[in-house]
Amino acid sequence: MQSQRELCSFPIAPSHKSKLTSAGFLITEDLKHLKPSELSKETGIGLEECLEILKLVCSESVDGSKRNEAPKPAVSALERLKEEQSLPPIITFSEGLDNMLGGGVPLCKITEFCGAPGVGKTQMCMQIAVDVQIPSQFGGLQGEAVYIDTEGSFIVERLVDIAKATVDHCNEMARLEGFKEGEITVESVLSGVHFYRCHDYVELLATVHLLPEFIKKHPKIKVVLVDSVAFHFRHDFDDLSLRTRLLTTMAQSFIKRATEFKIAIVLTNQMTTKFSPGEDSRLVPALGESWGHASTIRVILYWEGQKRWAWLYKSPSKKESRVPYQITMGGVRDIVTSPADNSNDQSDDEPSSKRQKVS
Amino acid sequence: MSSKKIRRIRSLSVDVVERLTKNNLITCKDVLSRSDLELLKLLGFGIFTIHNLRQQCSLACVPVCTTGLELLTKRKQGTGQFFQTSLHGLDHVLHGGIPMGTVTEIAGPSGCGKTQFCTMLSVQATLPGNRGGLEGKVLYMDTESAFSAERLVEIAQHKFPDLYNSEEDLCRMAENVLVDNHQTCASLIKKLESLEEEVITHRIRLVIVDSIASLVRKEFSSSAGSNLVQRTNFLSRQAALLKYIAEVFCIPVIVTNQITTRFGRQATEQDEEETTEISDGYVTVALGNTWSHNVNTRLILQYLDGEKRQVLVAKSPVAPFTAFNYTIQRDGIVQDEEGAGLYAGTDPGVQQINVRTSLPFYNT
Repeated sequence: MQSQRELCSFPIAPSHKSKLTSAGFLITEDLKHLKPSELSKETGIGLEECLEILKLVCSESVDGSKRNEAPKPAVSALERLKEEQSLPPIITFSEGLDNMLGGGVPLCKITEFCGAPGVGKTQMCMQIAVDVQIPSQFGGLQGEAVYIDTEGSFIVERLVDIAKATVDHCNEMARLEGFKEGEITVESVLSGVHFYRCHDYVELLATVHLLPEFIKKHPKIKVVLVDSVAFHFRHDFDDLSLRTRLLTTMAQSFIKRATEFKIAIVLTNQMTTKFSPGEDSRLVPALGESWGHASTIRVILYWEGQKRWAWLYKSPSKKESRVPYQITMGGVRDIVTSPADNSNDQSDDEPSSKRQKVS
Repeated sequence: MSSKKIRRIRSLSVDVVERLTKNNLITCKDVLSRSDLELLKLLGFGIFTIHNLRQQCSLACVPVCTTGLELLTKRKQGTGQFFQTSLHGLDHVLHGGIPMGTVTEIAGPSGCGKTQFCTMLSVQATLPGNRGGLEGKVLYMDTESAFSAERLVEIAQHKFPDLYNSEEDLCRMAENVLVDNHQTCASLIKKLESLEEEVITHRIRLVIVDSIASLVRKEFSSSAGSNLVQRTNFLSRQAALLKYIAEVFCIPVIVTNQITTRFGRQATEQDEEETTEISDGYVTVALGNTWSHNVNTRLILQYLDGEKRQVLVAKSPVAPFTAFNYTIQRDGIVQDEEGAGLYAGTDPGVQQINVRTSLPFYNT
């Protein structure tokens, strides 16, 4: 019962907790119908703090904190299935990649693209930021994007190139199917991308913290892209446990936003060299093992010789597989010449180009 | 800005600020790096105050949000967002030239032309805007003592004879290039940390670090272990500082890098007609994989045969893998009319570089 809950289970400062206990206040029931001035007299805690404690503990909390609401009833899998099917994924323009992901980048989940430098992570993010805006009559989400850039690789002229190709494609489809052309223009695509440039990890944390208000103000937002999440967390951190803690908090925040607002979160990560004793050094995703748990879906982009490959490394619903892709003037596309290699669906096949000894 | 002092946030009450200062939490960074529980224990506030504090600190240091359209309009209104290199093929493929506000790296074997390129770009930067210049001063941070003022003057005289036909003009141009010598990593990083002041006082429009590799390779060993990690962290810090300066002042920053030999199977796929020799070692850009992430654009200079050399666009957010031939003349780097085209590129961290031997070059 709510009123029997112990006071020390609430987020109250330890100094206040000890004062409450020594004055004899142990459970919620003890604080019922008490005025802040009375509580202050009995415990010696300041008036404002007493008010806060009372607000927190009694059920009429001001900010409607979720802890005081009844837990949500369980939802049947059928309802979840209907929900998932009603939210189409965001397509990239590479059919192979979309098929591998089960239609595209899904909403309500965190998708992570890890990759070596120059393999196309920024290009992928720009492509997704454009594709989320495809009008609904072409099967798109007609949404907007938040693009958080930490590396400075975002060049708006390149976004214009990708937007032009997508707009041309949509107009072509409109012509063929008899729809009105001009539903989507380069200007509308550019104004639908909300851009943040974060210069260090604190600005990144601040931006992520303020996302809920921003999304409420711009309800058309359907994807939040962070390019890249790794850059600021890889230098300047002597205390690795602090880094892990901050990353985990950020990941949890992302998961909450993804389900709360039904948006997709796309993160990019760098690769780092891992030295194992007795073995060659390999490239693995940066930020450590614990970060690997943050994303629902992980795609590793890598080079094999002169081709780019996307490897679905972690997914709750699709099989591990890899597809080749290329970057053209218009963005991310399939490789047209060679057919999708079905023989490459071997889950134990590691990308061979990653074995390098560092001299 | 994460270093914003909490004292300056007006929406916080005085006693909150006092308690924070007493506990040594002075900047927004101090507050936002801590979890709610830590703040509760440290400060003794109620949880709502903590939430409000976090909210106010986040609002104080969150960066400004713009849309893509606003960015484009701003860039079009500015004095041009690209710095022309005068190699017209390269400029065309890079959408105008070296992008301002980013870090561009020029890597290559010794003697290939990195310092020549930098010297030529220094001359370009001092030109007026209608001739493709940046109308400003250049800060040339030299770590190898390779900068030659004579060569600077020679390039200016031969490339722009109409502008620099008198000794006064040449002197004025030479005054605009500030050369800084650094012999240790410590002195370089100290300079980078106080770079902002210098950029503002002297109205610097181009920063060159030639080269970023030599000091680091002298002082940090590249064998595995904590030394390598330290080296990577040091380089990443440098990159972050350079990127910050580049963006805040919207200027191009150019760094040069050296080459290294890697052992193991070289990352080139075997085509049907040509077979690659699995060499024991191949030459590629130095400083490793993490540094390759840190630069925004990478240009690799390499040898062809005889006097001919080549510049490869190995990593760029806007350009595909293209190659251009050039030679070094009296007026600097001059692009050859033939030999330009796409090449089959790969990971810019392992792209093979031709040194002065007779390795065949793959043309697509």
